[in-house]
Amino acid sequence: MNSNNQKIIINIDHCNYPNWKIDLKNKLKTLKSNNLEIDAKNIDLSCKSISEIIAIANQYDCKIIGFCSSSAKTIVSSQSLGYKSQFIIESFSKNTSEISKKNLTFSKTHFHQGTVRSGEYLESSGDLLILGDVNPGAKVSAEGNIIIWGKLLGIAHAGSKGNSKATISALQLSPVQLRIAQKVARGPKEKPQLGLAEQARIDSEEIIISQL
Amino acid sequence: MATDTRVILICSGKGGVGKTTLTANLGISLARQGLTTAVLDADFGLRNLDLLLGLENRIVYTAQEVLEEECRLDQALVKHKQESNLSLLPAGNPRMLDWLKPDDMKRIVDMLIKEQFNYVLIDCPAGVEDGFKNAMAASQEAIVVTNPEVSAVRDADRVIGLLNTNSIKPVRLVLNRVRPKMMANQEMLSIDDVTDILALPLLGLVLEDEQVIVSTNRGEPLTLNRVNSPAAKCYLNIAKRLQGEDIPLIDPAEEISGFGAKFRRLMQTKIF
Repeated sequence: MNSNNQKIIINIDHCNYPNWKIDLKNKLKTLKSNNLEIDAKNIDLSCKSISEIIAIANQYDCKIIGFCSSSAKTIVSSQSLGYKSQFIIESFSKNTSEISKKNLTFSKTHFHQGTVRSGEYLESSGDLLILGDVNPGAKVSAEGNIIIWGKLLGIAHAGSKGNSKATISALQLSPVQLRIAQKVARGPKEKPQLGLAEQARIDSEEIIISQL
Repeated sequence: MATDTRVILICSGKGGVGKTTLTANLGISLARQGLTTAVLDADFGLRNLDLLLGLENRIVYTAQEVLEEECRLDQALVKHKQESNLSLLPAGNPRMLDWLKPDDMKRIVDMLIKEQFNYVLIDCPAGVEDGFKNAMAASQEAIVVTNPEVSAVRDADRVIGLLNTNSIKPVRLVLNRVRPKMMANQEMLSIDDVTDILALPLLGLVLEDEQVIVSTNRGEPLTLNRVNSPAAKCYLNIAKRLQGEDIPLIDPAEEISGFGAKFRRLMQTKIF
């Protein structure tokens, strides 16, 4: 637990992950603060888990203002619930100049920071994480999942080598076209509700979009 | 003391959105602020900038002859009749399309920088092929012109991507041919729609104005004759913002022509 000015950061450690709820309660007992930030490390938290954390915090008169994590899923979830979210790239944070480069492979995940503009094409042999918008006319493709921390307005192809379990997630999912493995779907006609992250995946031979 | 020349590319991707008109009017506006400005017509295949400035009959040499050392730079530079701070340099002859290479462009611009111009404005051809690459080669910053239409915005987006990969910055946006009434009725892309996609700082809006056509046909840019036209004011404001002045953007909603707006304009006119 770190004290950082007025902001108090609570780490949820991976080692005591199964018991993190008890752990969190113990930590919250000792302090009453309106400025809590949760550091979820590399743990994947769904919207449901984050809601649980918030409920626990409310029990102890604590108010959570934001989350930070190196898990894109956690960031997308907390962002969609309207919390301030900060993405932390684990142990790569020193190489900020390299991160800003267009295509950089970190083990299996490709990072791209910035807008993917019309005519640009981004490809990954693993997962693809984009911090920025994918504009109309642009195309992104990955053999694994695609996660866009921004708007998807262009074309996205997940599971490009045939992985039908691949998913496409974005803070605003209004693409021209979605492709997962061999399936192709046109984007939804109506605009999605703002502030709710959505995910596309294959369910019974069809691409469906649901809220994350 | 050497002046820092600002070399600005004016480009759009799509044709007919108003690159040349903006170049001409921006050139005049900057010159009127006392800044020496050279406008370089890199769209020499379909060159129009001389027409807009009314300088067609004065062109003797082009940058091509300068590079081949058939003439001096000052012989090729055409000074504007009324605004002596403004000079036009056509990049080439429409009949010889293939001669210009990115390196030639750099040499031309280097010569203009040596002449200590305050501004060099490069009028870029439409498209993203060789003509654009040539024009981009020597530029430091860029202004992307677009209209509130899906196709123009898409092309602008493509061009911005190319400018970014060539590390030209800052890149700023001018939204041209804005029709406040259509925007209010949501028949046209709104300013937010455009800036959301392009994610660029907005240097200015230019209102749709029939006077632009008249001035083009006459070869007298709007900003030259102090015409009290909406577009001319927009161009002047863009020039001032380029100089770092903080001038608020116009709100299209307030520009809707109707009784209220006319009345307001009447109130603003100094009668006494």
